[in-house]
Amino acid sequence: MTLLGIYQALLVAGFQQAAQYRVQALLWMLFSIIRPIIFLAAWAAVAATQGGSVGGFTIGDFTTYYVCLTLVAHLTMSWNSHEFEFEVRMGRLSPKLLRPLHPLHYAVVDNLIFKLTTIVPLSLVLLGVVLTFGARFETQPYHLILFVPSVILAAALMFYVNWVIGTLAFWVTRMRTANTLFMRASFVFAGQIAPIALVPGWLQAMSYALPFWYMLGAPTEILRGSTTFEGSLLIIAAQAVWLGLSWVAFKFAWRAGLRQYAAVGA
Amino acid sequence: MPSVGRYFRIFRSFVSTEFQFELEYRTNFFMGIFEMLLVVGTSLGAVLVIFAHTASLNGWSLPQMVALTGVYYLVQGLTNIVFSPSFEKLMEHVRQGTLDFTLLKPANAQFLVSTRHLSLVRIVDLFMGTGVLIAGLVMLGNSVSVGSVLIFLVTLMAGTACVYALLLTLVTLAFWFVRIENLLAIFWAFTDAGRFPIDVYPTWLRLTLATVVPIGIAVTVPAEAISGRLSPESLAAMLAGTVFAVVFASWFWRRGLQSYTGASA
Repeated sequence: MTLLGIYQALLVAGFQQAAQYRVQALLWMLFSIIRPIIFLAAWAAVAATQGGSVGGFTIGDFTTYYVCLTLVAHLTMSWNSHEFEFEVRMGRLSPKLLRPLHPLHYAVVDNLIFKLTTIVPLSLVLLGVVLTFGARFETQPYHLILFVPSVILAAALMFYVNWVIGTLAFWVTRMRTANTLFMRASFVFAGQIAPIALVPGWLQAMSYALPFWYMLGAPTEILRGSTTFEGSLLIIAAQAVWLGLSWVAFKFAWRAGLRQYAAVGA
Repeated sequence: MPSVGRYFRIFRSFVSTEFQFELEYRTNFFMGIFEMLLVVGTSLGAVLVIFAHTASLNGWSLPQMVALTGVYYLVQGLTNIVFSPSFEKLMEHVRQGTLDFTLLKPANAQFLVSTRHLSLVRIVDLFMGTGVLIAGLVMLGNSVSVGSVLIFLVTLMAGTACVYALLLTLVTLAFWFVRIENLLAIFWAFTDAGRFPIDVYPTWLRLTLATVVPIGIAVTVPAEAISGRLSPESLAAMLAGTVFAVVFASWFWRRGLQSYTGASA
């Protein structure tokens, strides 16, 4: 059986399983929507007090930014670092390791299924936000085309970074701190607080230098059409570099971690 | 009232049991402090980024926003120390049918399920919330009167009671729908909205935050009180709303309990 065939089979089984928990998936979706709306509301209030625009951003621009951000956050979401601790501590990883397929693949399928089952309701909610606040898009056709590789790279990068963090569970038992650290770093650097053009210079420089912005803010800026053609290509190149680095980091961490792994009875 | 003293003693024994339990995990405690510093620090950073572009957010100045952030973590701390851990256990008991053991005890069941389990690590939230609040007040500069501190404490308690009433209502639903954790997840998602004053939100969200998920009220009103922005009308409305919410939640809890069947009943 080819890898493609395996994926097809896993996806079908996964969809059947997901069909049982439709409400649950919708509720989890709310998680990704609430925070961008909160910051959108705050920036809209600031723009209103400043006479319609802040640093060149109108309420319409903020709406576009946060709608795109929510969509990207949803498409790039990954939650394996939270689950992995449990799997290692409870020894649930052991049976998975015996299967001929790397555990990574099962996570990919789970990830795709959640996104595919929730993308339609999410789009409807976002459409509602667009209409409530009045969005203003500057997106050109080339932005839409370049958005595709950018968001795929972002999702892959997010996925691998999540697994790198997850493998820490082989060594430490308290993963909460590592996860909090990662979540707060992406809160600050990935563009959740504000579009990168509005944060102070030093924070901007750090955001460009660190990987977090490339998982969320970068595809967002491309989708809303704020980048030039060359700028977009540069961003995509940077994303590819970070993805390569995280892939290498994962290979190392995984191999070292498995040697360390000592589940009950292993 | 001898019964108040009795419940106080019961609660004290819960605290001491949980304290001994937490002492086994001291690293946990320090990690908790570290995490909280990170969370509060980055939240304040977000406020600073916004105020780099404006002097006021819907009439809230930077010092007032800092104070509000402090109140946000205070309310979160108050709920997370007692109610959240207790209610999490309650849902587990309902699912597994082990609530019987609680119901058999000679004390008020609502009191027991609401206070039995504590997460004392979260006291860190209270300290940091208070610290940030005081920083905001110092930045405000004008002196804080004893009266406004009193009103602040009253509204803070009332706000926490509102959140408690909502949580109790939500977990009571577990008697009919066993898998209710999802609803709590929604609640936690919405609490994030408490980080900004409720008046910045569009009407539909503001209404949700004021009535369905009272976190907006629970944070904004005390922050208004301490920074001297609270009108007597809002104060009265909030207190009346709180009494209603708590009475309703308690009634709903008793209704729910009637449909509890236990493990083998």
